[in-house]
This record gives sequence, structure tokens and C-alpha cells, in this order.
Amino acid sequence: MSIIEFLEGPAWKASAAAFLIFAGWRLVVILTAGRRHPGAEPIGSPLLGAVGTTLRHFVPRPAFWRRPKVWFVSLAGYAFHLGLFAVLLFAAPHVAFIRDHILGLEWAALPRWGFIVAAEFAFAGLLTLWVRRFVDPVVRLVSRPDDHIAAGLTFLVMLTGCMALGEQSVALRAIHLGLAELWLVYFPFSSLMHTFTWVFSRAVTGAEAGRRGVHW
Amino acid sequence: MTASDAPKRMDRQGDAPDTARVAAALEGFLAEFGPRASIYLNACVRCGLCAEACHFYLETGEAKYVPIGKVKPFEDAYHRTTGAFAWLMRAVGMAPRLTAAELEAWEELIYDSCNLCGRCTEVCPMGIDIAELVAEARHGMYHAGFVPDRLAEITRNAESRHSPFGTPEDFRRTIHAIEGEFGVSLPMDKPKADLLLTLAPGDLEEHHRSVVGLARILDHLGVDWTLSSDAFEATNFGYLSGNRELQAELTVRLVDKAKEIGASTILLPECGHAWTAARWELSRWYDGPLEGLRIRHIVEYLAEAVESGKLRFRQVRETATFHDPCQQIRRGGMERAARVVLAALGFDLRELPDHGETAFCCGGGGGVLSNARAEPLRLRAFELKRRQVEETGAHRFVTSCGQCRLSFDRGRAATGWDKAVESLIEIAAENLVEDTRDAG
Amino acid sequence: MFFGARARQRGTRAPLALGAGLAGLTVVGPALAGAPPKVGPPMQTGPENTLGGLSDSEIWGAIRHEAFGIATSQRPEDGVLIDADGWWWTELRMPSGPLVQGAIWFLLIVILAILLFAIVRGRIRLEGGRAGIRIPRFSLTQRVVHWTVAALFIIMALSGLVILFGRPLLIPVFGHGATSVMASAAMQAHNLMGPVFAVSILTLFATFLPGNLPSQDDIGWILKGGGLFGGHPHAGRYNAGEKAWFWTATLAGVVLSVSGILMLFPDNLAPWVAELAYGFPRARDLLHLAEIGHVVAAVIMIGFALGHIYLGTYGNEGAFEGMVDGTVDLNWAREHHDLWAGEMSGGSAGTGAAAEPAE
Ligand code: HEM
Ligand code: SF4
Ligand code: SF4
Repeated sequence: MSIIEFLEGPAWKASAAAFLIFAGWRLVVILTAGRRHPGAEPIGSPLLGAVGTTLRHFVPRPAFWRRPKVWFVSLAGYAFHLGLFAVLLFAAPHVAFIRDHILGLEWAALPRWGFIVAAEFAFAGLLTLWVRRFVDPVVRLVSRPDDHIAAGLTFLVMLTGCMALGEQSVALRAIHLGLAELWLVYFPFSSLMHTFTWVFSRAVTGAEAGRRGVHW
Repeated sequence: MTASDAPKRMDRQGDAPDTARVAAALEGFLAEFGPRASIYLNACVRCGLCAEACHFYLETGEAKYVPIGKVKPFEDAYHRTTGAFAWLMRAVGMAPRLTAAELEAWEELIYDSCNLCGRCTEVCPMGIDIAELVAEARHGMYHAGFVPDRLAEITRNAESRHSPFGTPEDFRRTIHAIEGEFGVSLPMDKPKADLLLTLAPGDLEEHHRSVVGLARILDHLGVDWTLSSDAFEATNFGYLSGNRELQAELTVRLVDKAKEIGASTILLPECGHAWTAARWELSRWYDGPLEGLRIRHIVEYLAEAVESGKLRFRQVRETATFHDPCQQIRRGGMERAARVVLAALGFDLRELPDHGETAFCCGGGGGVLSNARAEPLRLRAFELKRRQVEETGAHRFVTSCGQCRLSFDRGRAATGWDKAVESLIEIAAENLVEDTRDAG
Repeated sequence: MFFGARARQRGTRAPLALGAGLAGLTVVGPALAGAPPKVGPPMQTGPENTLGGLSDSEIWGAIRHEAFGIATSQRPEDGVLIDADGWWWTELRMPSGPLVQGAIWFLLIVILAILLFAIVRGRIRLEGGRAGIRIPRFSLTQRVVHWTVAALFIIMALSGLVILFGRPLLIPVFGHGATSVMASAAMQAHNLMGPVFAVSILTLFATFLPGNLPSQDDIGWILKGGGLFGGHPHAGRYNAGEKAWFWTATLAGVVLSVSGILMLFPDNLAPWVAELAYGFPRARDLLHLAEIGHVVAAVIMIGFALGHIYLGTYGNEGAFEGMVDGTVDLNWAREHHDLWAGEMSGGSAGTGAAAEPAE
């Protein structure tokens, strides 16, 4: 079995399985932890509060617009995340991979220029956010090794992905695929899990806010 | 580095050895690891934005005041004991290890530099309720005996003498003194009453006019009310210190008394955290709503009476600015109620640059006011507020929390600021139009 | 298989800087009798046709197999498959030509000079030790911009050097196969990151301009050799050496960006610009100039950067922390930027020691 066959076959299945099992396990443990308090008699609706807070936190509220870092993290954050989603889900090679190895169905891919622009935004966002982790005393203080590993691995996956863009070499594709698999396996153990936890976090806060008739 | 406002030395209570302290802390933390804490601790992306909301960071510029960093021991304990991969981390020796030294080092961050004000939640992209996490972390800290001495002492008073203010006997004596001083009569220990009025130590020590104001308003509304010498304390130092057992006891005491005298309402005075503890934290101790008993805050109570036409005021017709007490407004849902009362009083309201649900704390909330050693830090937060109040150019400076007022008064004394801070209830009581009862 | 049709359907090819030689050429049909060239990139086993069109190797393969071309473009130069006027450029650019050889020698000399300096002068230490007082030097914005540019620069420089030195230096060591893989990877990364790097250089210019305008102190500093060989000439916030680096990076950055963007869009942008410049769309001449300018600017910038990196890390004790924490030791400031240190301690140096001003 050649390396690329291994990476596309058993290694891909194993890493995808590890991702599903460990990420699922982590979510189960999070959601079933400890004792749940029933909550005080509500003033407003916890459900509406949960929806409201989940939406509200997509955009910083005006009280914080005076703070440059709020702008920076929001803009760089969106550049990175939107760019990453576009590339992850709509790059032609990814669409084909998803069709062949995951879902069996495909959708329209981005044209090549669209993909490249999305990747450029993703790189710019990730790089500036990661750089800030080293040079801003506030985030440096609270950053865990994991935050750097997560950012670094994601960066490497993206970089090798763009290096494989010529699609002239199996080796380059294998490097990208191998790193992506490593990333998948690392994912459930890392802060990358915020991909899933963000909505729970906003929602529980929002439910309490709704109960109290306020807008957190 | 600038000279830090942090205390030079941390306090510790008792003489338990370090290992016992760590075990006690863990036990306290473990009791708090419910789904909420769990979700939060797994959602943080370390973006540091929470610092951009916290007045302690904004005023000092010191990175250590980044809110999420304040709960590190709590977070470490979670990942060691409860997190999804705690077993794995322990097996490979990568689990964070909790030490007495770390707990002690975090005492300042958990007690001195957090007002439990909740402003940081509003900027957090994940919406993490860090104030809730800090309150939960205090549970372990209290058990471990790492609490600022002054706060620990007040908490012990609440435990052993009924109230930080004093014993039921002290209470009766003070109430009689207030009756004499103002020529009013304050009903006490009636066997049956429809409303149980509670008070805060600040009311009994310094703000006697607030007590009189409360009485006048209740009498004016024709309410059948009483004070109780064995359930008078509205504040909850169990909540502030992390002594959850005491917190439960204090809440249950109020509820039991109200049931005993057949009251339909427990009325809380101009206090913020009393509202949080009794109104929102109640569900820690009771499954479901209380039958036939409501916990009300004087601000919403007043607003309701104004809106139903039962209260009318002489018009003040002056400019005023209003400090939003965090636990009443951002965390308590009474932003509108406070403004209803201000408008009914005829104030021309000049809002602070940050007001309503995004207002800054006075700096004294969350037990920081009672924690004497935190004063230098508290004064930094006070400065921010002072600048904002001056910016409005308003004549009068009003708030609806006795603790906030004390906090401002200390700040004023320390900085020589001459802007008096007034009580909304006192102003309301003084401007009551007496003939509304006929009209209503 | 009529693969020319496919090429047209899928529209323009990817912008490939190195594919500039094929500007405007559309191969409309293979004149192949027997075996048609394999469709799809040669070593491809992955998902098919994700390139969005033909790759250069396919087209060249077809040409080598005597495909004939009919230019669909009406531009005069596009009918020309081999440009005889470009021979001077070919000679200049080939691996043994002056451009590549000059670059190799220039960078070698720079590296040797730095090594020599490191050995002879050693680390420039803080003579007075540390004062223990920190004064703010770089804002958070400056630090983020600096390191973002630095990271992008390293990616751009390494990938660019692989492309430039692939034939003379890499093929002899790694062989053709591995070098072609490296070259493909480098080119893709280089092309994708280029625009990001261009933007980052502009922000670098904007955030570091204050303090970098020439001043009289620069003359004294230069006359005293910058203190590199001993002594500490007067200097303000930035000394003449730093200013030279700032302006070199800015100018080289502009040249690199402009020429790079031209080469990124050989089919669309270059003829249009050439039309403006020459009065007719002779993109190839323009692209030749662009490539030469690109190489020269890059090599100068890389050389200067090596010196900058040396002095910013090991070479000059106490400098690195300024770009990480944002603060430097007061003694470092006094020794290297005495005039600026004076301003700072006269002003806010005593109180402004907070590592990061909150606002
Ligand atoms: C709506 C959902 C999401 C939100 C609100 C969110 C929020 C954030 C924020 C605020 C940061 C900035 C951290 C910093 O300042 O460095 C961040 C970083 C990051 N996010 Fe997300 N994120 C979301 C979804 C995702 C998803 C789906 C992925 C990956 C599949 C992802 C991967 C990353 C990575 C790799 C980083 C950089 C690593 C780091 O700095 O921690 N995020 N995210
Ligand atoms: S703002 Fe929220 S997500 Fe960001 S560091 Fe603070 S707590 Fe974590
Ligand atoms: S709750 Fe208030 S005081 Fe505490 S960390 Fe958050 S913003 Fe700061």
C-alpha cells in the first residue's frame, strides 16, 4: 500500500473515527456534568434569551466599540473563520473529497479565484490572531500550550493545503492530508472544540439572561 | 512595573496544613462543576476580550486582571477531576496540579479584583458568565481558608450573630433608635403580616433615612408589613464569600419566616447582591417556584406602584445622573423600573456614557467593599466612575443601592470629591404626594 | 478527447506567475493522430479535475507533441510562440546567468559578513547592565504588524528562493523529482501569500513611519559607523541603520508588490498596464522587467533582513524584548537611542512603565 493509499484509506477512517468518538465523548461529558439547578421563577423567556444571546454575540455591542482590540479580534476573527469555512467546504478538492470519502454527494465548488481570496483572508486572520497571542500580555498570560498548538496545526494544514494547489504531486497532497488527519485527531482534545461549544455557551448564558429579563 | 495595587500578603484562615486546604478547595470546586461551568470552561478561546470590559484591567492596564485568568485554579481543578479527558491527563501526568501556593496567589484575583458585575460576559464572543465562575470558585477558596480576612470576619458575624450588623437584640435597639430619631413607628415582629421587609447592614448603620423612606412608602401604599428581628438581614455574605452552606441558611431563613407569618412578599431593600442571592440564586435550594410567596425588590416594587398610579411625587425638575447597580440592572432586570421612578420624580436624566446593562460597577460589588485591603484597587475603579459622572454635567447623582453609595462615599472621602450620592428610595419617600391615596 | 474545448469552458486558467510565458495562448485542439496525451495532471491519483482547467504541463505536453495553436486573442504578440526579442532576458535569467549567480553571491557575502561581524564584534551587550526600569517602545499594533509581516516574509522569502535557486542549487542536491515537487509547492504558496504580504507591508509602512523620517542625527551616526565597531553615537527613536532598513523594506516591498501583482495576472492586468506604458499591449516586455525588478528587490530585502534578524536577536542584547513585550530596559534605550531615552524619561518613562497601556 502506498503512502497516499494508506492516508486516503485506513488512516483517514481511523482519524475520522477518533474525531467523532472523542469529540462526541467530550460533548457528552460536558453536558452531563454535575447537578443542574432548575432556575429561578422567570421574568422573561429563557428560550428567547438563549436565541437572543446566541445571535447578539455575533457582533460586539456598541459599548465596546471604543476598544480597538474588540475591532481587531472581531474583524480578524471573521476573516479567519469565514475564509476557513469557505475553503473547508467549497474548495473544489474538498468538495470532491467530501463526495468520495464522506457524504457521497457534492455541491457547487468555489471558482479557483474565490477559493484563493478566501484562503488569503483566512491566512491573514489566523496569522494576526496567532501573532497577537505572543505579543499581547493579556492573551499571552491566559494562553495555554494548547492554544498555540491548535493555531499552529491549523496554520500548517492550511499552508500545506495551499502548497498542494498545483495538484502536480502526490507527495504534496499526502502531506496536506496527513496533517489534516493529525489535526482531526488532535481536535477533540483541544480548544478547537469551541467549534461546537460556542453555541451551548451562549445559549446557557442567554437562558439565564432571558430568565432575568436582561440581555447578556 | 508600576507599583501594584495588589496586597503584599494574602490572608489565610485556620491552621489547616496545605494538603488539607487543597483537598477542601477541590471539594468546594467539585460541588460547582455543573453543566454551566462545564460548558463555559470548555468554550473559552483565550481571545482576551473579556479584559476589554473589566474596569480593573481598564484602569490599571495590568494583564493579570483579565477576567478569565481569575478562575485559573477553578479551571485547573476542572481539568484535573471532571473534564472529559481528566483520566487521560492524569494517566500521562499532564493534568494540572492544584497547590496551596496557587490558591493563595489567586486570592487577590478571586476576591479583590472581581465585583461579580458580569460586564465581561457582554463582550465575550462565547458569552461566558465569568462572574458566575468567580462566585463558584469562591466556594472552594472559602473551604480552603483563603479568603481576605475582613470578608471572612464579616461572614463569620453573619453566621454567628445573625447578621454582619449584629444580633437580633442589636437590631431591635437600632430600630427603636431610628423610631425615636425620626418620630416614626416601625412595625416589628408582627405575628402575621402580608409583607416582610428586610434591610441591609448599611441601612442600619448609616442610611437610617432609607429605613424611614421604606416605611413611609409602605405605609403610604397601605401595606400590612413588618420587620422581623430574627429574619431582618437582606444581604448574603454566604454568597459573597463562597460559603454556600451559609448562603443557603440565610436564604432559607427569610423564606421560612415569610411563610411563618403568612407573608405573600419578601421585600428587599436598596441592595444589589441581596436581589441576586434571594431572587436568582434561590433555585439552588428550592426546586421550583415558592408557593404563594414572591421575592420583590424595592425598585421594581416602586415602579409598579408608580405605573399603577398608586404613588405620585412632587417634581424635582433637576438634572440627575443614575448609577446602575450591577446586580439590579445588568444582572437583575430592573433597568426600566429604575428609570420609571426617576421619570416619575421629574428628573431630567443625563445618562452616564456607559449606562444600563453596560454600566460599570462602582468598584465595591461582590464583597470588595467589605474587603478592606482591596481599597487601593477599588479606588481605581471608582476613578472611572467619577470621570463618567463628571462628564454628564448632571446636578445630582442618584443610585438605588446602599452598597454602591457606601462605596462611592469611601471613594469620595479618599479623593476629596464633593459630589454627594443620593438614594433613589430616600428621594422618592421625601417627595411623596400624600393625597394620592384618596385619588387612587 | 477534445481538451481544448474543456479549457475554454472552464474559462481562464489559474493566475500562475511562472506561467507568464503562455499568456493569452489558448490551445484549441491537439493535432495528435495516435495517442492523445493523458488527460489530467500526470501524477494525479486524487480527485479529478479540481484545477478548474488545464495545467501548464498538459499544455506544454501537447505542444511538445506538435499541437498547433490558433490564437483566439487578437493581441499582436499572442500569436508568437517563441519571442526572439526576449533572448536577452533568457540569458539574464538562466541559472548560470548574472541574475541568479549575482543573487547567490550577494547573499553568500551578506551571510559571511554577518558571521564575521558576530565573531569579531561579538554580542553587543548592555554596558551598564540593566536598569530594571522598562520604558514603552512598541505599541501592540506595531508588534502585531511587525511579526505578521515577519512571518509572511519568511514564507515569501523561502518559497521565492526555492523558485529562484531551484535549478542551480536544488536539482544538483535533491534531483529533478523532488525539486519539482518543492518548486510546485513553493510557487503555490508564493502566489497565494503574495497579496497578503503586499497588504502587510503597507500596514508596516503606516505603523512604523513616525520616527523613521531622516534627521540630522543620522549623519553623525553614519560617520561613527553606527557604533557597530564600538562606541554609541547619538540616536533618536530609530538610528540611521534602522531607518535605512525601514525605507529599504518599504521600497523593496512596493517594487515586489507591484511586480508581483503584474506577474500574478499576466493575461489580464499586464497587457493593460503595458498598453498604458508603451502604447500597445506588449505584456512580455513588461513582465520581463517585472521579474527582474522582483528578483533584485527580493534579494536586497532578504540580505538586509538577515542583518536585521541577527541584530534583532542575538546581536544586540535587550533589543528583542522590545518587539515582544513592547518595552525595553532604560539602559538599553540610553545606550542605543540616547536622544529618544531622554525624551521618554523627560516625559512618561517613569510612569508609563505599564507593559501595555490599556487604551
Ligand atoms: C461561530 C463559531 C466560532 C466562534 C465564535 C469562534 C471564535 C473564535 C475566536 C474569538 C477566536 C480568536 C482567538 C484569538 O484571539 O486568538 C478563534 C480562534 C480560532 N478558531 Fe474559532 N470560532 C468559531 C468556530 C471555529 C471553527 C468551526 C473552527 C475550526 C474548524 C475554529 C478554529 C479556530 C482556530 C484554529 C482559531 C485560532 C486558534 C486560536 O487562536 O485559538 N473556530 N475562534
Ligand atoms: S472573552 Fe470569553 S472566550 Fe475570550 S478569553 Fe475571555 S472568557 Fe475566554
Ligand atoms: S465580573 Fe466584573 S469585575 Fe468580575 S471580572 Fe467580569 S468585569 Fe471584571
